[in-house]
Amino acid sequence: MTATKILRLVVPCTALVLFALAWWAATDALRLVSPFVLPSPGDVLGGLARVSRGYMGSTLLDHLIASMSVMLSGFALALVIGIPLGVAMAWFPLVDRLFGPLVAVLRPIPPPAWIPLAILWFGIGLSGRTFIVFVAALVPVLVNSYVGVREVPQNVIAAARTLGANQRVLLTEVVLPAAAPVIFTGMRISVGVAWATIVAAELVVAERGFGFLIMSGYRNFEAEIMAGGMLIIAAIGALMNVAFLLVERRVLRWNAGDSRDV
Amino acid sequence: MYERGTTQGRLAGAASTGWVIVVLAFWIAFWWGLIVVFRINPDFLPMPGDVVARLVRLATHPVGEGPLHVHVWASFQRFVGGFAMAVALGVPLGFVMGYFRLLDWALTPLFELVRYIPPIAWAPFAILWFGANFGAQAFVIFISTLPPILISAYGAMRAVDPTLMAAARTLGAKPMTIILEVGIPSSIPVLIGGLRIGVATGWMALIAAEIVAGTGTRAGLGYLILVGQQTLQASTTIGAMVLIGALGWSFDVALRRLERAVQRWR
Amino acid sequence: MSNSIVYRDVSMTFGRGASAVQALSATNFGIGDQEFLMIVGPSGCGKSTLLHITAGLLRPSTGEVLLDGKPVTGPGPDKALVFQNFSLFPWKTVWDNIEFGLRINGVDRADRSERVAKYIRLTGLAGFERHYPRQLSGGMQQRVALARSFVMRPRVLLMDEPFAALDAQNRTLMQEELVRIWSEQRAAVLFITHAVEEAVYLADRVIVMSRRPGTIKEVIDVNAATGPGHWRDRPLNDVASEPRFQELRHRVWDSVRSEITTHEDA
Repeated sequence: MTATKILRLVVPCTALVLFALAWWAATDALRLVSPFVLPSPGDVLGGLARVSRGYMGSTLLDHLIASMSVMLSGFALALVIGIPLGVAMAWFPLVDRLFGPLVAVLRPIPPPAWIPLAILWFGIGLSGRTFIVFVAALVPVLVNSYVGVREVPQNVIAAARTLGANQRVLLTEVVLPAAAPVIFTGMRISVGVAWATIVAAELVVAERGFGFLIMSGYRNFEAEIMAGGMLIIAAIGALMNVAFLLVERRVLRWNAGDSRDV
Repeated sequence: MYERGTTQGRLAGAASTGWVIVVLAFWIAFWWGLIVVFRINPDFLPMPGDVVARLVRLATHPVGEGPLHVHVWASFQRFVGGFAMAVALGVPLGFVMGYFRLLDWALTPLFELVRYIPPIAWAPFAILWFGANFGAQAFVIFISTLPPILISAYGAMRAVDPTLMAAARTLGAKPMTIILEVGIPSSIPVLIGGLRIGVATGWMALIAAEIVAGTGTRAGLGYLILVGQQTLQASTTIGAMVLIGALGWSFDVALRRLERAVQRWR
Repeated sequence: MSNSIVYRDVSMTFGRGASAVQALSATNFGIGDQEFLMIVGPSGCGKSTLLHITAGLLRPSTGEVLLDGKPVTGPGPDKALVFQNFSLFPWKTVWDNIEFGLRINGVDRADRSERVAKYIRLTGLAGFERHYPRQLSGGMQQRVALARSFVMRPRVLLMDEPFAALDAQNRTLMQEELVRIWSEQRAAVLFITHAVEEAVYLADRVIVMSRRPGTIKEVIDVNAATGPGHWRDRPLNDVASEPRFQELRHRVWDSVRSEITTHEDA
């Protein structure tokens, strides 16, 4: 048992070290690969440092604000429209029958496919990108709100009704709290999709932001800037995911795993 | 980029086909009404009929490298190229990682490192390495579809009934024999579910790749979308979007059929 | 003893036309003011349907249910329902679960606290007020469900196999708890069960239902067999060995069994 535990620790560490060594050997020590094609570990760190001092006339904070502000406004718009619409579709059959087919038809269109149309409609400015993020982020929250409400156990609803709950109490005090974990998951998925989408949009048109940053790195043949930018994008994505999980665990304490006897 | 685990394909489940047609007709009328009432420039939002007419015209009149079928075929090739690579690497690797714990422990941290990079963010490197054409696009699809495919193969192997494995082992089977004879057959349904997610993810990535990393080519559905925007021809853009949605949807339906058929066969 | 609940020609048919299934054929009977009435019968005999009609959750196809002379038109706190799977609100604490019905019916805060505290004491939940349902065992969860119903001071308590999900020890304990609480706060009880022993132990009268479409097959007066001093006032273990108890249990079981076996022959 202890041997297994030691292996469990040693094997991943060894693998990571070996990977780093191989990378270093190929790019730096043996120069098997040109640094223009694959930057060495040292180059990537240098790239990170350069990016954090600012790149293409914008500081790191400028890029961050540019990407985040668009992402957050598109995401917020998706929440404001997606959650009420999803809940209403699940709760009122008529709303479902009206919007269900529309959503079903629009959903298979991949979010990036909206990029050109958004540029055509809103130009290359903020509103166009916000629209793309909104379209991409809308689907997960809407679908999860719908499914979450639909999957509230019938018995729980029946129990509330026999205790005297009317439609309003049923919706606000029973159905929404019961569906909250599924809606929350939708929001978490949504924020990831929104982040990926704003990066994609900035790869196509932008004058600031992380997608623009890595695309500029490509245009200027600076692979270390590209790698550094990708690392920052990944770190922000991971941070947002973790933040959502933490909030989720706090807000939905009742739903937290098998915590008998807490 | 597009996380799995949500329920798919459940909307409008209750409504009958007839009703769906009526409602869609209503929405198309709504679209048409918007244009008439607000006198919208057809360059921005074309009439529904214009979109259909444009698709018909595209089918016979070449844009870029050829008429519509050339673009569909180009997209399809890239998609299959990237997807096949992901299957070829992801399925065996997932199976083996699901079976050998040491390999699982060694490789999982590496995957964790790159997990949060949105696949499309690989596009600049993909162009750098393979040029802004087939190679870069197929690579972005490969990077997008590898995780769902690998994870489903891994999960499928982990979900194999351990007593089945133990039974095979007591009969003297070697690990490779067990994977091939026990693991793979009993994990096929889970695997097909994973492939379905992979196809949906890959199809999305294809369009992103064509728009971002397709500047070297003049073919593909993503190219059509871009051309429509650049030439201020919204009917081309929307027509291509409709086609992309319809194709993605039919792939999903086909795979769901397969999934059900396999489950029944078991 | 006057009847608090009266069933007049109550029947239930699900579906329409060729696919219609009659779950319950026209039923007529009454439940005494403070009577403990148990219904046993084979699966799918319509006993749950009858219970849901009584609760006002289902509307009967024909006939009506009268509660104190007034027809039942919808669910409400005068008809409390306890479910087999407890159906607690998992996002509310024990206290909030029990308080919910009082709060939405406009009982003022001071009165509420007093009543909730009383039923927490009565059901042995003291010390668990701030726990969430997930943190409780099945038996404890069912106590919360009982308290949540009793706190409304219902005219009739409807129980849908409430102890079926509990293990044998907990089931016996909960039966005794139920009797204790019910002795303090008499109400008419309509209790559905699969367990013949439970029925004979708890009931004033046992109704045996036939297989679908459910009809009342037999009404067995337990009070007549027990004489003064009901079985339920003593522990089940002491009662179970009494010849008269065993005899009645056999009689009810034979009656139920003939319904199950003819069902299987069909």
